[in-house]
Amino acid sequence: MTMTETKTATGPLPGPPAGKAPRGRARRILLHAVLAAGAFVTVFPYLLVVLTAFKSRGQLNSTEPWLPGLPPTTANLTTLLASDFPRYLGNTLLMTVALTVGQLVFTTFAAYAFARLRFRGRDAMFGLYLATLMVPSAVTVIPLFLIMRELELINTWWGLLLPHLLGTPYGIFLMRQFFRGLPAGIEEAARIDGAGPLTVLVRILLPLCRPALGTLAIITVISSWNSFLWPLIITSGDDTKVITVALAGLKNGIGVDQNLIMAGGLIALLPMLLIFIFFQRYIVRSVVLTGLK
Amino acid sequence: MTAPRSGSGLGAPPGSGTAPDAEEPAAPAGPVGTAVSRPARRPRRGLRGLGDLHAYLFIAPSLFGVLAFLLLPVLIVLVLSFFDWELLSDPTFVGLDNYRRMAGDGGVWRSMLVTVGYVLLCIPLQTVLAMVLALLLNRRLAGVRFYRALYVVPWMATPIVLGLTWKWIFDPRDGVVNNILDLFGVTGPAWLSDPTWALPAIALVNIWQYAGYNMLFFLAGLQGIPRELYDAAAVDGAAPVQRFFRVTLPLLNPTMFFVLVTNLIGAFQIFDTVFVMTDGGPSHRTEVINFKIYGTAFREFDFGYASALSMLLFVVILTVTLVQVRFFAKRTTYDLS
Repeated sequence: MTMTETKTATGPLPGPPAGKAPRGRARRILLHAVLAAGAFVTVFPYLLVVLTAFKSRGQLNSTEPWLPGLPPTTANLTTLLASDFPRYLGNTLLMTVALTVGQLVFTTFAAYAFARLRFRGRDAMFGLYLATLMVPSAVTVIPLFLIMRELELINTWWGLLLPHLLGTPYGIFLMRQFFRGLPAGIEEAARIDGAGPLTVLVRILLPLCRPALGTLAIITVISSWNSFLWPLIITSGDDTKVITVALAGLKNGIGVDQNLIMAGGLIALLPMLLIFIFFQRYIVRSVVLTGLK
Repeated sequence: MTAPRSGSGLGAPPGSGTAPDAEEPAAPAGPVGTAVSRPARRPRRGLRGLGDLHAYLFIAPSLFGVLAFLLLPVLIVLVLSFFDWELLSDPTFVGLDNYRRMAGDGGVWRSMLVTVGYVLLCIPLQTVLAMVLALLLNRRLAGVRFYRALYVVPWMATPIVLGLTWKWIFDPRDGVVNNILDLFGVTGPAWLSDPTWALPAIALVNIWQYAGYNMLFFLAGLQGIPRELYDAAAVDGAAPVQRFFRVTLPLLNPTMFFVLVTNLIGAFQIFDTVFVMTDGGPSHRTEVINFKIYGTAFREFDFGYASALSMLLFVVILTVTLVQVRFFAKRTTYDLS
């Protein structure tokens, strides 16, 4: 690895000036060492998941955890794929898609109205939304369970999805910020041509919203895919069981080995990892969207 | 579903209420603005009403969600906290009994202590680490973009999977940590089954997961600071350390506020990692309050008492958040735009 400054490094960064020339090299080497060490610690648990997922039971005992088992075996993955695991994976996928679509649609409508339409009670209503940002999800779990029980929706798809299907205040807040950032006159032309609010939203504003929508989608996909407490409480049967609940159940299973658990973990982690690799810029943008830049 | 950051996508970013109102496009009005799908014969007043109707229709689904699945639950949990209810029989009104019981319940106090202990282990370290990472990565350096992205990777990982992985890493016999310690001739503790080390171990996992993500926020904040300010400080002879505490840190106040508020809200609700790593043990040493609430409701079916515990957590989170709001409101925020 060369320590010379490369042209490709980064764009212009206003920030503390970099080290002066003579000390610069030594400092840069030290910096790289620290960053590489941090990167290793960051990646290590993933490495462990991957290595272990491909080990046989014998290799699990005979090799160090951080060394690969040779030859690697796909037996764990095959075992899992032959069990109910694909079904749980499918359930997670369905839940993630439903929640993400719901979030995108309903959040966009609400955020658009709050940001760019004027109507009676708007500010009071938005104040209400802001106030609900303060409600911790841990506090609503019990009453939500009781509501679903009253509606006889326990252990159903509706019970699993309903509380988070209609858009979250956080998402609406993010999207509203984005809508407000668009230039004021942007709808004028369309409105003069007689377009109504819906047409303006779909034809004019939505195409401009793609980055913000992408960010919102990523956040929702990740939080849905990873969600645990609500699915744990509201579902019990295989019909609606999601992968996180299934994996948490594995740990108590008798005779379930670490390699099998890690194989399940790998299957759960992989889609999120791919999404991260391909849509990384949207995640970084989520930070910018909160208005903190 | 938990909010983006383990239940902490909550918390309005700073300035949320203070931003100047956006230019408000007037409701679609005027007799000409009716061509598309609406009959042109409506009188003016009706059109204004129609504009409102559109907005209300747009908001209706999410408003229903907010009312039914956020505000109603808060109301229910408050009311239920005055009842005794084991689900099978009818609820009985018991007044403040649940709260009296709570005050004398050693288990609850212990659980609150564990929670606060966890927060104190997790948040300061995580915030400092995130800040240090941001400072290290806010410069021209080969591979800096790679590092920035890599450090965020743990954020999107499923906490349940991570919990299971780290549980194994901390395994006293086969785990990586004790294996490495063995190389240096040190016999490591039993970590997750050790009363002293279980909570720090869980805190470490969450620091590992979220430090990189928070780094992004600090990085964004750092990049918003004009370079001239550093030049001016350097001209005045300020040492790097002084520059950090006198220039950087004060200018990062809004970022710090956001990061602290959201992470504290999340940390007070920690659940997933505890569930898979220790199940509240050993001897209740990791039984955080959210876990206690879960157990009281869904293992002991004591829904009235669990509701009172939920109210306790709500009040604690609200108080901690408001204290931060006041603390940061007193400090000057510099407008850099």
